[in-house]
Amino acid sequence: MNRELSFIIIDDSELDCFVTQKFLERANRKLTIKVFQEAAQALELIRENKSEHNKLPNVILLDLQMPGMSGFKFVEEFEKIPSEIQEKYVIIILTVLSSSSDPKDIYNILTFKTVKSIVEKPLTLEKLISLLKHVPSAGDK
Amino acid sequence: MSEKIKILYVDDEPENLVGFKASLRLDYQILTAVNIPDAIACLDNNPEIRIIFSDQRMPGKTGVDFFEEIRVTHPLPVRIMLTAYTDVESIIDAINKGNIFRFVKKPWIEADIIWAIEEANKFYMANSMLSIKNVELQKAYNELNKFAYSVSHDIRGPLTGILGAINLAREIDDASEMKEMLFLMEKSVKKLNTYVLSMHDYYSMQRGELKITEIDFNRIIDEVKAIYTVNSKVNHVTFKINIKQDEVFLSDHAPLRLILNNLLSNAFKYQDPNGATKSVEVNIDVKDGKAIIYVTDTGIGIQESHLGEIFNLFFRSNSSEVGSGFGLYNVKSAILKLNGQIEVSSVLHQGTTFKVTIPSI
Repeated sequence: MNRELSFIIIDDSELDCFVTQKFLERANRKLTIKVFQEAAQALELIRENKSEHNKLPNVILLDLQMPGMSGFKFVEEFEKIPSEIQEKYVIIILTVLSSSSDPKDIYNILTFKTVKSIVEKPLTLEKLISLLKHVPSAGDK
Repeated sequence: MSEKIKILYVDDEPENLVGFKASLRLDYQILTAVNIPDAIACLDNNPEIRIIFSDQRMPGKTGVDFFEEIRVTHPLPVRIMLTAYTDVESIIDAINKGNIFRFVKKPWIEADIIWAIEEANKFYMANSMLSIKNVELQKAYNELNKFAYSVSHDIRGPLTGILGAINLAREIDDASEMKEMLFLMEKSVKKLNTYVLSMHDYYSMQRGELKITEIDFNRIIDEVKAIYTVNSKVNHVTFKINIKQDEVFLSDHAPLRLILNNLLSNAFKYQDPNGATKSVEVNIDVKDGKAIIYVTDTGIGIQESHLGEIFNLFFRSNSSEVGSGFGLYNVKSAILKLNGQIEVSSVLHQGTTFKVTIPSI
């Protein structure tokens, strides 16, 4: 995978952000990566459309269970922003799945049209390649 | 002995009521009613009635009808039929429809009545205990649900993070990058450790008896001070302590230390790193059998809309990674255990003050 892509990592855990970021950097040197430990800040940036690389397909790797604004809330709010901005992003859920997570929640998050896939932490190369199938190339419309 | 057991007796013949009351009023508190509407009014006004005796044959409704009705509207009192009317049909009805506890035949003898009352009272007490236990059980069950969620996020989360980091470590050659990751891994492990310790605090506050001793607040503060003195120096936070204790104060040492430790930990943790003047102040005043503790900080403050929720288990007002969601819940449990109260006032970006009042036991 040598495509030019922009990633936004949203995760409250500093270590998880670090691991995901380093992993992406190793997989592809052409990536632009932004890291947010607070979903609200990421939303703010997206809403103001200040992302300089907004011509690239933007992949949002989103954790679900976060204090403050959770991943669920983030997606809800994200779908309220103008659709011409929404179109530039693809949301992929990157989370810890466990027997105690409510399957209803997982199902619900997939009903949002901007959410393309769920990946279980930690990210691996196989998972990354398969999730990129959901990401359209820059030229596609 | 505690208060007398309250008993209601319903009978359409006033002389029966008088006789019943006369022989039992020394040991029990007897209320009477000559008809069913009066009896229901009496039940409404005296919710602490434990036992109801009723005649079967009364004008209008029968005793069975009455019991059948109050079984739904007033389910707590124990129902006893007291009647001379003993055909099989009415006994069957009384048992099946009225769901009675005992059947006592008229004319009654005092020993039978007293025995019925004592047995009914035991039954009533067992039922009340059961409903209290049920409420407790429901609460424990709800907390267990929260625990399941929390275990997945707060224990499995950091563990998967560390696992991911170990996988990544196999590919890292750069020493400084590795050190950076080790630092973050260490933070995750420490967080897990704090989480497990708070979980232990949680259990010790929920269970266990009080151990009352003479409390010296200077000693408690000395015990917790060491950690915060370091923090105060490193992060340039002024740490002021004022303790006024001239009288003996009796309480349990462990919950008090937990309260102070958690409040201080929060006061230091939630400082604004860019704040111009940073301070934490503890004021303890022991007077008139009460200890009033203020913990005041100049930190980031708490959103007003969150103030009602900060004492809930696993509630986190702040989105930064530091909180476990146990701290203030444990503080609240400890305060309840010591029969005290806690108040909080906070202004966003200016600071927070907690006021704790604990009575000497």
